[in-house]
Amino acid sequence: METLAFLAQGFAVALTPKILMLAVAGCIIGTVVGALPGLGPTNGVAILIPLSFSFGLNATEALVLMTSVYYGAMYGGRISSILLNIPGDEPALMTTLDGYPMAKAGRAGDALVLSGVASFVGAMLATIGLIILAPVLARIAFLFGPAEYFALYLLAFATLGGMSSKNQAKAAIAACLGLGISMIGLDNSTGLPRFTFGNLHLMDGIDFLVAIVGLFAVTEVFVFIESHGRESAIGIKIAKLRIPVRDIMRSGVTMLRASLIGFVAGVLPGAGASLGSFLAYMGEKAMVRDNSKFGHGDPRGVAAPEAGNNAAAGGALVPMLTLGVPGSGTTAVLLALLVTLNITPGPLLFQERPEVVWGLIAALLIANVVLLILNVPMVRIFVLLLSVPPWVLLPGVTMIAFVGIFSLSGSSFDLLLMIAFGVMGFFLRKLDVPAVPIILGILLGNEMEDSLRRAMVISSGDWRFLFSSGIAIGLWSAAVIGFCAPMFLRRLLKRPQALTD
Amino acid sequence: MTHLYSLTRRGALVGAAALAFSAFGLGVPTSSAQTAECIAPANPGGGWDFTCRTIGKIMFDIGVVSKPIQVTNMAGGGGGVAYANVVNERNTDENLIVAASSATATRLAQNAYGGATYDQVRFLGAIGADPGVIVVGKDSPFQTLTDLLDAVKADPTSVTFAGGSAVGGFDHLKVLMALRRVGFDDIRSVKYIGLDGGADAITQTIGGFTQAMTGDISEVIGFLKSGDIRVLASFTDERIPGFEDIPTAKEQGVDVVAVNWRGLYVPKGISEEAYRRWSDALAKVGASDEWAEAMVANGLAPFNRVGDDFQSYVSDVILEVEALSREIGVIQ
Amino acid sequence: MKSDRYFGLFIVVVALAFIASATQIQTSFLADPVGPKTFPFILGMVLAVCGLYVALRPDEEQMRVQSIGKVAFAAAVLVGYAYSLRPGGFLIPTAIASGLISYQISPRVVPALITGLALSVGLFLLFKFALGLGLFAWPRAWFG
Repeated sequence: METLAFLAQGFAVALTPKILMLAVAGCIIGTVVGALPGLGPTNGVAILIPLSFSFGLNATEALVLMTSVYYGAMYGGRISSILLNIPGDEPALMTTLDGYPMAKAGRAGDALVLSGVASFVGAMLATIGLIILAPVLARIAFLFGPAEYFALYLLAFATLGGMSSKNQAKAAIAACLGLGISMIGLDNSTGLPRFTFGNLHLMDGIDFLVAIVGLFAVTEVFVFIESHGRESAIGIKIAKLRIPVRDIMRSGVTMLRASLIGFVAGVLPGAGASLGSFLAYMGEKAMVRDNSKFGHGDPRGVAAPEAGNNAAAGGALVPMLTLGVPGSGTTAVLLALLVTLNITPGPLLFQERPEVVWGLIAALLIANVVLLILNVPMVRIFVLLLSVPPWVLLPGVTMIAFVGIFSLSGSSFDLLLMIAFGVMGFFLRKLDVPAVPIILGILLGNEMEDSLRRAMVISSGDWRFLFSSGIAIGLWSAAVIGFCAPMFLRRLLKRPQALTD
Repeated sequence: MTHLYSLTRRGALVGAAALAFSAFGLGVPTSSAQTAECIAPANPGGGWDFTCRTIGKIMFDIGVVSKPIQVTNMAGGGGGVAYANVVNERNTDENLIVAASSATATRLAQNAYGGATYDQVRFLGAIGADPGVIVVGKDSPFQTLTDLLDAVKADPTSVTFAGGSAVGGFDHLKVLMALRRVGFDDIRSVKYIGLDGGADAITQTIGGFTQAMTGDISEVIGFLKSGDIRVLASFTDERIPGFEDIPTAKEQGVDVVAVNWRGLYVPKGISEEAYRRWSDALAKVGASDEWAEAMVANGLAPFNRVGDDFQSYVSDVILEVEALSREIGVIQ
Repeated sequence: MKSDRYFGLFIVVVALAFIASATQIQTSFLADPVGPKTFPFILGMVLAVCGLYVALRPDEEQMRVQSIGKVAFAAAVLVGYAYSLRPGGFLIPTAIASGLISYQISPRVVPALITGLALSVGLFLLFKFALGLGLFAWPRAWFG
């Protein structure tokens, strides 16, 4: 009951014209930022932080604008995943797996509506979860020590091998390449350079965004130029926008399950929306009875990652608000915003600044409804962005990718690196090596290694420490099963198609 | 707070983004004649960022500068990227101030800025300090700092410290200094893990994975109020204002004073007049009510050294840290 | 020979090079039982084993590359663009690079020209005014 009173107070804060306007503006900007390949929620929010200061927004207003952008980007990312097979941002990676095949089968509109609804369900449930569970769930962070985190990361890679199930050795190669790339730069624990070959640009490591834009956007351009539109990947039109009631009904349970998985993944610090959508997709693939169509345009394969990443986005707010530990890259930026606004996140934030927290939560609920309207009936407007002919769109994507990366570092070195990733991605795609594990490797590599080393410091070098808790043992077992099971099951199942198409 | 190598990939981006927008070609034009710039050599959200934003805002609010000060985040190399940039490219820029802290001095002392030395810039002053603290979980058997240090003396493998800075960073050094004061010399056997910031370090300590956390008071306030932790000692001369129930290390017979001061440096090549103008401005901020408020809100203790006084203080600190680091083998 | 065999062997070479350069990593003095070498070392081993596996048990499909020259040309255009963006301002290099890419996809001169110009100006306006990035329009040399 107390919660409801707080929520009412929150709505009183949120239902002012200015806040509503900011929420709507944030939703639109966020959807665009998410839909454009190369611009993701993290840099979208980062770009807008200075703007919010120059507008002179107060704490609640700035936070509402930024989280609307954040949620909006989670919605928007799916649009280019489905239509172009280029994830609009990193958490939308998994949506390409079934979204793009659906679009190629002429069901782009269905896929967009379904994923929009799934996004709504995921984000809504996560926001409700945030309301009810924030104070309780934050304690989960205390159960995860270095050994548990190491096992968690291992699980992510092991099941990734299972996912790109055509050839696990190739998936493992991709993961190792990604992890190897993440080693470049200064070593976190000792500050000593590794694999930098004396190059200053490599000191701070290779940015995962450079890699992701290179491996996806630039590779896509190369593949398209090379195949010369033989098999037109671009310019899928939405014939008719209707509500695929059957698909939505069929994916109802999927959305609920995926939201739950995504939410939990979001709450874990460092895991974030990407892992949320990934685990949601994998979980769903493992749980449904007939998963033979996954990867070929199964609607549930569209609903699961979208519900998962939106739920994770909401979940990631929990540790940020209650512990000051960001659950994802974007929440790390939001955390920075909070601190600059002189708000100290922590267990007491809910009591000390209720107007900020509950105003934010109410605004999130409102933003979600706005986003559903923008992304389902009005999705055509955003699709227009992408339904231009390939000889305009592809150069456009390339240029946006270049400016996006250039704006991050201002160095041509990163641009060259991006092109190198594009060339590498081109050959890897020709060789049926999935690109997703590379990205995951770059993303998680340092944390994974640090977890291992911290665990070994604590145990004074005793490797048994890695298996010393129930959670760790559970995660290790799941990892082993996740990696090995597909090898045996593959013989039984129909040989699935490659991940990248 | 100012954790040295904790630049997560995405975090680094943010800083890099802000950097690109203002410092490089794409940038909003910043160093036009009157607009001053404050470089925070880390991602938004850390101590350096706080220094720039708060001091910059107060300077404008109390009217010592005529235009709002533009804050630029220039992450990388634990502050080394910004340091090199100032030394090499903006050595005569009179409209530039750069946030610094104990971590800057530590890194300089440990030669972690690629050969740069502390006399390549001018230290302007510090007007507040974040006191160092040692923290344990609320169910910890250690009641006093002495309990904890005795346990390490008895068996160094029984206690792991968690901190928000890298191995050899300031959080780590504080513990080692304390242990040396109580006569424990095998410092290399002390177990320390560096995490991405103080909050992570506290989470691990509350979760029981590490036995104690070393950090700054500002990092622990939220957890202290919620009752999840106990602060065993603060590394200050006097008890910290507002936290009078926390005993100092000195009171417990461990003579260590280690604070994370918050201050600024300016390029070496600016005119004497410009240096004085900035140090006066900083002194005025230090004396303002707004700053007093900001200090209370962020758990900073008073620490006022501006101008030449500060310059000599920094060089003393650097010599001390250098000696200690050499002793424990962080530098050769 | 199947393309996977070459790929597998290539990966083995990469892995060995990785392990070799991992041995060059300086180690620290302080208590860290794992150190900065171990993890890269493990990675290199796993990579080598997987590369070997792919080389010995290659997939059936042969890699098909239609026209590598086009990709090489596109990559060269992008590299040139990367180098010219900073000194050359936004408008001119963008117009040239996007025009060339457009022409490669659909070899018609006029649409490619229009695409190049429109993208260059349109994106400039979008980035400069809608998103607030401070781009330089023209070569810096023109303004000293």
